[in-house]
Amino acid sequence: MTNQTEIMVDVTQTSSYFKLSPSRLLGLGLMTLLVIAAITGPALIGGDPNKQSLLHTLEGPSIAHPLGTDNLGRDMASRLLSGAQLSLSLAFLSVITAGLPGAILGVTATWFGGWPDRLLGAFADAVLALPGLLLVLMLAAISPGSWWALYVGISLTLWVEYFRYTRQRTRIVLAEPSVEASRLLGLGPWLLIRRHIIPEIGPGLLTIAAFGAATAVTAVAALGFISVGIRPPTAEWGVMMTELLPYWREAPFLILQPVACLILTVLALHLSVGGARLP
Amino acid sequence: MIKQLRVAIGLIIALSTAPVLADIKTNVTIAAPWEVASFDPAVAGFALQKLQIMENLVDADATGILRSGLATEWSASEDGLTWEFTLRNGVIFHDGTPLNVDAAVFALDRALQQPGVLKKAPISKISGSNGKIIFTLETPFTALPAFLAHASTIIPAPSAFNAEGKPVALIGTGPFKVSDFTPPQNISMARNEAYWGTAPKIETVNYLAASRAETRALLAESGNADIVFTLDPSGYGHLQHVDDVETQAVPIPRVVTLKVNSGHPFFNDVRARQALSLAIPRAGIAKAITRFPEAAAGQLFPPALGDWHSKDLMPLETDLDKAALLLSELGWTKGEDGILTRDEERFSIMLRTFPDRPELPLIATALQDTWRELGIELEVSVASYTEIPAGHQDGSLHVALYARNYGLTPDPIGSVIQDFGKGGGDWGAMGWDNADVVKAINIIASTKNQEIRGENIAKVVNSLQQELPIIPIVWYQHTVSVDKNLNGVIIDPLQRSYGLSKMFWTE
Amino acid sequence: MSSFGKTVFAVLATRGLQAVVVAVIVGIVSFVMMQSLPGDAAYRIAAGRYGYDMMDAAAAEAVRLELGLDQPAIVQLWSWLTMLAQFDLGISAVYGTPVADEITTQLGYSMLLAVGAVVASLLIALPLGIASGLKPNGLLDHVTLGVSIFIRAIPSFALGVLLVLIFAVQLNLLPVAGFKSFANLILPSLTLGLGLAAVSNRVIRDAVVDAMSADWRLFSRTKGLSAQRTLSRHVLRNAALPVVTYVGVQLAYLIEGVVIVETVFAWPGIGHALVHAIFGRDIAMVQGTALVLGLTYVALNLIVDLTCRCIDPRTRRA
Repeated sequence: MTNQTEIMVDVTQTSSYFKLSPSRLLGLGLMTLLVIAAITGPALIGGDPNKQSLLHTLEGPSIAHPLGTDNLGRDMASRLLSGAQLSLSLAFLSVITAGLPGAILGVTATWFGGWPDRLLGAFADAVLALPGLLLVLMLAAISPGSWWALYVGISLTLWVEYFRYTRQRTRIVLAEPSVEASRLLGLGPWLLIRRHIIPEIGPGLLTIAAFGAATAVTAVAALGFISVGIRPPTAEWGVMMTELLPYWREAPFLILQPVACLILTVLALHLSVGGARLP
Repeated sequence: MIKQLRVAIGLIIALSTAPVLADIKTNVTIAAPWEVASFDPAVAGFALQKLQIMENLVDADATGILRSGLATEWSASEDGLTWEFTLRNGVIFHDGTPLNVDAAVFALDRALQQPGVLKKAPISKISGSNGKIIFTLETPFTALPAFLAHASTIIPAPSAFNAEGKPVALIGTGPFKVSDFTPPQNISMARNEAYWGTAPKIETVNYLAASRAETRALLAESGNADIVFTLDPSGYGHLQHVDDVETQAVPIPRVVTLKVNSGHPFFNDVRARQALSLAIPRAGIAKAITRFPEAAAGQLFPPALGDWHSKDLMPLETDLDKAALLLSELGWTKGEDGILTRDEERFSIMLRTFPDRPELPLIATALQDTWRELGIELEVSVASYTEIPAGHQDGSLHVALYARNYGLTPDPIGSVIQDFGKGGGDWGAMGWDNADVVKAINIIASTKNQEIRGENIAKVVNSLQQELPIIPIVWYQHTVSVDKNLNGVIIDPLQRSYGLSKMFWTE
Repeated sequence: MSSFGKTVFAVLATRGLQAVVVAVIVGIVSFVMMQSLPGDAAYRIAAGRYGYDMMDAAAAEAVRLELGLDQPAIVQLWSWLTMLAQFDLGISAVYGTPVADEITTQLGYSMLLAVGAVVASLLIALPLGIASGLKPNGLLDHVTLGVSIFIRAIPSFALGVLLVLIFAVQLNLLPVAGFKSFANLILPSLTLGLGLAAVSNRVIRDAVVDAMSADWRLFSRTKGLSAQRTLSRHVLRNAALPVVTYVGVQLAYLIEGVVIVETVFAWPGIGHALVHAIFGRDIAMVQGTALVLGLTYVALNLIVDLTCRCIDPRTRRA
């Protein structure tokens, strides 16, 4: 490449992503805390998430139970830590499983253009037309109480967002004059992806992904709400939200706890990788 | 532009929710969990009967005493094999057609063909003549009138059926007729001016099916619903402190019970079942989960069931040490992981329950923890309730948790026959055969002698308490909230009627 | 024909063909899945019909015979497909009423709710997103980010209950539940709309930031257009495209996401019906619903496609 090309390529490139701003540091710090919590689980504080105490239910914070007890007298802190394992793995896994294939397929579909694009698009749309709720419920019904069925079902519903968004945006990017110029200059596909597509689509996708974590966990809560759940006494943030809903009046601090954990997770994701743009 | 839009939206909201300027109200709004999605009495009968859209031949009051409904009187022949019910005169259906013997026989015959209580009675023929409906039985059955008070035997008009005999409309004889039906959530009704009995004071009724307890509690608190049935413990507790509503808790004949597969090698010795019963934290469950400490079940039949509840029986107790002792007598010893083992087999079983009643999975989880202390590994499966009869039929059931209504008909003998008769029942005993109990049940079903009845009832109740093929956990309370200006509200423990025709507003 | 007209025709043709393909695929896939569900369908259907107090093995056997559930799967599929070809969706196994009737009512209600939710979300997200995008990293931007994360992390049922508490119980402005009047639409739409708006306002913000920093914007200002004109004529129009795309995605997603809200607010929609149908093994109902939802998805894609092509001429070439 000539010098001029280098300059042009540089000018079209937006700012780099790995600057360590204070917010990014905060995000990464939170992530580390969450990962530690997930790995150690309730052993971190030495509690038992399943030990019930039917005569001491819905209690507020105390020395023995720093975050109170739930409707069956179980220690909330232990349950939240135990739930972190399942919830965080669901959040991360489903976003990756939904996001990566969704985005890759979206780019691929638009790349080839013409007949292949339309065909792939039509076929994908036909497959996507199968209602997501149906898929999740069927999967949950086929293996009731199974964690994997929920996870697969939720990923299968989530990937739509990434696919459609990527496809539509890529279509526009590829039609831009700057891309045509790069193509004419002989820049290969990988460079085009790196220099044009990723900067255009990346940040938006990452924003969606950060919120996708929340979507995954609240999806588990929603499924529990319609009684498609995980077998008791499993602790998981979404399941806890559903279980503690009936007590929202007399013990609102209970249902707010798994919600707070989820907020921390989304915040951590968002600050560390999402929304990274400078004006 | 946005500001104008906002003003417009505000106006629309204000206008569409403008309060109705009231004299005395004439409308009642009911909220309950049960959806009504069909025109068929066999499917939606409970709701249609409670809303007094359709009626039975035989009616019952709140204590279960039978009285005349669409039939004015009834009697049985000497041998007890033929019953005659005299049909009331001058009754017309909501569409103006008369209630005659043909219409009644048509409806009842259809009820006999469908799954319902009539199928459980030994009826061989239903016919009619001269204003009387005649039931021909195979064996004497004194509970027949009680069966005819059940929701599945309500009588729709012949015009409610289409050419193939399928019900396609809601037309009955009751004090209220249907003005609008949006299944499955809503039925709107208006007073039937041509009703044969005492006219209701309320003019219109709105029934809303709201399946979440939280929604129902909020409906009660905001005044959107005047009566709300089945509140969850938390909502009920809160509404007790709200000024505009009055709350009631009425004991009903429904019981949370544990069904045990008495044919399974783990449970075929009565001591094993007694151990299970001793390991149930009834007081904790009644306090923390259902929140009615007095409803911890000391025996199977609750006080609401009259002579079937015995005051002399020693109540079932909770004693983990005794339970552990009984199990060790049977050869169980605790393994390294804390689970009991016997002959290389771990005491690991599965409990089947369902989520339709939210307290059931909670009670199952409570059992899980207490039994773990005892050394029993309990896996809980919360799935469709059909898994329970399915597990009964193919013998794969270990234990199951559900809520059984022993007051389905005003006389509990109906449910008792189903559950504890020969061979047990889908919702009753499994793998448990006690010839004395079966004999006693048959006597109760066919005799008119109250003393003999009483003796045999005591026999059955004692046996069930000793042998525990079904282990009771807690009795149910029906919780209701009523607007304090709505009077004449009688909560029916048999849940046959909402009592709409007796209600009236003051102020 | 104008270039726009040509693309409309192409889009309609593609979508039409797709509709037929979708109908067949959805029908077969949902049938296969229903067949592979564990447990005995006859039991479930009998349970759905008679309730568990009345339901037992004998009732289940009767249902099995009545519905022909013991016939081989292929035979059942064939009879459904032949009925479908005559536009007959069959009878609900549990309720005995025609499936088409049930779905028409319920889909109507769900569509109403979906539209209400999108309107509510746009009313909230557009002003906030644009305002945040015009001053990125400002106070408003940070505050909306925080609130968005909070709203997103609350499950919709909790949000719904909270809104009911505030607006219906405390303030007595709106009804708690039901579906009879326009006022009943507001709280459910708001519940769903808030959840949608929480993410879409960030997408709008990002799109506006992009558009504001684009070369052509600078060019437009250099040309002499005022900030206001630039905003309305260029920035918003360019920002609209990813937003419309995203809303399109959310819309399809939303049709099914209404289940929670329908249950909480006693709204007689299709999500709620679908859940009952799957649990009750009401095969005709599930297949009918899956079919209608699939076709609705196709129709929505059609609208989104046409809107995109309308807004952005660059997409007309593709």
